[in-house]
Amino acid sequence: MGTTTLRKVAVLSLVLVLAGALLAGAAGQPEEEVVVRDEIVIAMGAEPEALDPVAMTSAPAATVSEHVSQPLIYMEEDGTLAPLLATDWYANEDGDEWTLELREGVTFHDGEPFNAEAVKANLERFLDPDVGAAYAFLINRIQEMEVVDEHTLRLYLDAPFAPMASHLSHSFVAMISPAQIAELDDPDDITDAPIGTGPYRFVEWDRGSSITVEVNEDYWGDIPEIPRVRFNFIEEDSARMVALETGEADVVMRVPPVDADRLAAEPDIDVVYQTSVRQIYIGFNAQAEPFDDPRVRRAFNYAVDKESIVADILRDNAFVADAPIPDAVFGHTSVGPYEHDPDRARELLAEAGYEDGISFTLYHPTGRYLLDSTIAEAVQAQLAQVGLDASLQTLEWGSYIDMLDTPLEDAEHEVYMLGWGTVTLDADYGLYALLHSSQAPPVGNNYGFYGHDEVDELLADARVIPDVDQREAMYHEAIELLWEDAPWLFLHNEGQINAQRANVEGVIHHPLENVSVWNARFGD
Amino acid sequence: MSTELESDLTGAVEGGEHDEQHEPELKAIARHLFKNRAAVVGMVIIGIFLLGAIFAPLLTPYGPTDTALGSSLQGPSLDHPLGTDELGRDLFSRLLFGARISVMIGLISVVIGVVIGVPIGAISGYYGGAIDLFTQRFIDIMIAFPGILLAIIVVTVLGVGVENVMIATGLASVPLYARLVRGSVLSAKEQTYVHAAKAAGIRNSSIIFRHILPNCLGPIIVQSTFQIATSILWAAGLGFLGLGAQAPTPEWGAILSRGRGYMRVAHHLTTFPGVAILLMVLGFNLIGDGLRDALDPKTR
Amino acid sequence: MYRYVIRRLLLTIPVLVGVSLLVFFMIRLLPGDPARALAGMQASPEFIEQTRARYYLDEPLPVQYGIFVRDILRGDLGQSTFSRRPVALELRIRFPRTLQLAVTALAIATVVGVSAGVVSATKRYSLFDNISMLLALIGVAAPVFWLALMLQLLFAVNLGWLPSSGIGTWRHMVLPSVTLGMASAGLIARITRSSMLDVLRQDYIMTARAKGLVEQIVVYKHAFKNALIPVVTVMGLQFGILLGGAVLTETVFAWPGVGRLLVDSILRRDYPVVQATVLVLALSFVLINLIVDIIYAYLDPRITYDGAS
Repeated sequence: MGTTTLRKVAVLSLVLVLAGALLAGAAGQPEEEVVVRDEIVIAMGAEPEALDPVAMTSAPAATVSEHVSQPLIYMEEDGTLAPLLATDWYANEDGDEWTLELREGVTFHDGEPFNAEAVKANLERFLDPDVGAAYAFLINRIQEMEVVDEHTLRLYLDAPFAPMASHLSHSFVAMISPAQIAELDDPDDITDAPIGTGPYRFVEWDRGSSITVEVNEDYWGDIPEIPRVRFNFIEEDSARMVALETGEADVVMRVPPVDADRLAAEPDIDVVYQTSVRQIYIGFNAQAEPFDDPRVRRAFNYAVDKESIVADILRDNAFVADAPIPDAVFGHTSVGPYEHDPDRARELLAEAGYEDGISFTLYHPTGRYLLDSTIAEAVQAQLAQVGLDASLQTLEWGSYIDMLDTPLEDAEHEVYMLGWGTVTLDADYGLYALLHSSQAPPVGNNYGFYGHDEVDELLADARVIPDVDQREAMYHEAIELLWEDAPWLFLHNEGQINAQRANVEGVIHHPLENVSVWNARFGD
Repeated sequence: MSTELESDLTGAVEGGEHDEQHEPELKAIARHLFKNRAAVVGMVIIGIFLLGAIFAPLLTPYGPTDTALGSSLQGPSLDHPLGTDELGRDLFSRLLFGARISVMIGLISVVIGVVIGVPIGAISGYYGGAIDLFTQRFIDIMIAFPGILLAIIVVTVLGVGVENVMIATGLASVPLYARLVRGSVLSAKEQTYVHAAKAAGIRNSSIIFRHILPNCLGPIIVQSTFQIATSILWAAGLGFLGLGAQAPTPEWGAILSRGRGYMRVAHHLTTFPGVAILLMVLGFNLIGDGLRDALDPKTR
Repeated sequence: MYRYVIRRLLLTIPVLVGVSLLVFFMIRLLPGDPARALAGMQASPEFIEQTRARYYLDEPLPVQYGIFVRDILRGDLGQSTFSRRPVALELRIRFPRTLQLAVTALAIATVVGVSAGVVSATKRYSLFDNISMLLALIGVAAPVFWLALMLQLLFAVNLGWLPSSGIGTWRHMVLPSVTLGMASAGLIARITRSSMLDVLRQDYIMTARAKGLVEQIVVYKHAFKNALIPVVTVMGLQFGILLGGAVLTETVFAWPGVGRLLVDSILRRDYPVVQATVLVLALSFVLINLIVDIIYAYLDPRITYDGAS
């Protein structure tokens, strides 16, 4: 009988544990939605590394930062450059002197006035080698700055640089209070709590979990309706989607394509499709046999069924590439796509003397781009149809870039999958660094050591000529040459899918992969 | 990840009790093992997996990497008993061929652990003194270093791929073997036959390998059975973190890791590989339990 | 006893030195560097240079190790290459969270495991025994991240009883800690059961019974206490495993502890964070096992530590 009592005790404790769990669930259920919501929750896939302009490197950082610290120029969703903290900007005839007219009556969250001195202090810090901003290259053509008057700043460049305004619109070139900069006396120091001019002011960063900002009642523009914004970091896709479904989040970023239809069918959820500026391609080492032969590279392009990859794997949330840069980018012209034509691919291979096929390693990242390794597997299967025998090899990102970023004599890679976001929406950013022969590693991102004399000349000229129409024509010509010469296996331009609760209105889902809620409000 | 402890504990609690050191008779052990219902269940489970793995090409018309983009993410059907994955590959085929890989990961990582860990433990236990002190600290260090991290770093250094996963999980098990064997050797060292061998002037190395180690075989085998299970779990965990097998290798952890992206629309891609891993780990653990009892003179 | 504790504390020093050496050199074997991992393709040669200089990565390895040790002795755990924040700040927030998760998981595992084990042992071969031992086996065999996904789907999505991820209230703790504790619960249940059975077979228990002591007292006072000894050992080891094993659970439930931080930091080549976190984990592992050994001594008066190793 003793053991019976003991068993009772044990069973009781088990029951208690279970009951506790049940109660926990029950307790949460009846909490009715408060009628007036004073907080909007955005679930992001990754945590920002920093919010100090000089330490930011990622899109999640930009998303949060834009609510607090603003750049001088705002890039609209369609790529138009619109006034933000600068009301006007123009270059001199030669294109090596830029003048910025700044907005008047703007103050930072700490009350400091926003003026030419403030901008100068920010840009100087951004360019300071001791501070070491990763994105200093965006504006490192600036040699000198001159405060013309309280609200006019002039930038002197070392050479004409046409895309200067685009570069100044980058979210990382954001303005924080000069008083705060003065406090960061050690160039190593960065701030976790930026003091900007934005519609929201920074409140709290709960490391690993969330960042909270609250409305700036003294904002120079339209004061947002929603008093608080919380950015939650939920790395695991499934958990992030669940957070939206249960109402724990109001907006989620990076919806996996396969979940989009399911979410769209829910009455309380709206799925938002937006383009992105990232193109995914497979590069070749153009200096290595057999990939130095354009016929071989064209054969790759004919062998792969991009339509099917976009439709079946990406669930139509992408666009088959028709140029080496996405449509929204200045300078784009449609020249493709290569249709899926395995016979043509075999012919080209035979012409080039490889009728027996080619064996090679296809390097690809995993988890860096949307469904990257799945796409690599599909490409592998399709290439096999025409005798191109790829063995796949993935490396995690830190090693991957290290492997690609090697000078020609040490390069092991021949065929590699990569993506590139033309975040300035200017062809220069998309083409020069990737395909100009001067940009081969270790200098730039031309990991395929590609070079084409005419293209080189066009790309170099187009970055210094201030005339917009002339530049555009040059990029069109370059793109036509590139398409024919096929330095890459052109795949697709990624789309992005976000989703939000149906009662949320006015959220900006930006092609630059930012979500902004300063115009958002809760509907019914 | 916890089976290692279980076996660890076996070593700690029962390893020291092999005092009699009878040469275990294989027959008696086998009889005892087959009388143990749980162990038989384990052997049946593993047997089915092994048969499936060996005869995989005969059991399914599809290759594990045959893609058919048009018929992706289909649920179980007559054509595809476990459904298809995101590239239209037959999940049943992938799991069958994957069984080969999982078993290989388990076996080879155990071999690596044994080959490195057993001599370290034996030398440490046999010679004692400064060598023992040194290796003991080394083992302490390895144990205090989180095992999964060791595995993550090893795979990151060597690169993604099944072979490197084997090396990583194998290395992570080295301290467990070293500690287990050291304990066994310490108690065996005091046996009369060892003293006799020493007195007869037999070389130390031959005493260790010919006389002492064979007597420690029981605990090593038991530990290894559990370690196979642990390695399979570790490999799956590495796969979950994207540091497992290279695509399109049908390794179970990798299938599961990829499948979780489709959990809400095609849950069979998460459920079936998860159940497969669970069953195989369960099978090896049951066999391990049975072996431990069969090799333990107390319970025989 | 004091001598033993001091001796053990002294022994942790070489272990920690060894762990620091191991982690320091192992992560420097990784290809890539922090600047490239941070800025990816946008990492200009200048930025790579600047970053290497800031974190002394351009110094020879022994010098770097020297700086690392010197800073640690001054109480400075270094600066993250990813967030550029002091590592100590990061750990002060994250480590307690992982600790909280691991302690809760272990508490649940112990309560569930020990009660199930004791009942199973006293009611050997009953239905309860069979079912709980089967569940224990499954708990040990299921991949923890798979279990996490399944529980999340069931309790957060389908039933809507619990939050799916993140931190906040104690309800956020339930799913991650239960998932994490599942394997330990299974293990502890099995150990408790077999250890209990062992003890119940012992002579002194037989004697106690023969003396006519009430069964309850026999089980509680005599058997239970002795049966706990191996259970305590497992708990100590389990705790280390839980700390390390939190990696996968933290990922699924977006729990902002050190587990996920560690993996991310390895992938980001954030050397200072990896070094410091591994050291802290190793230190807590060593200390917990020391505590376990001391508890051990109280439970089993036969064990004396003075002089013996």
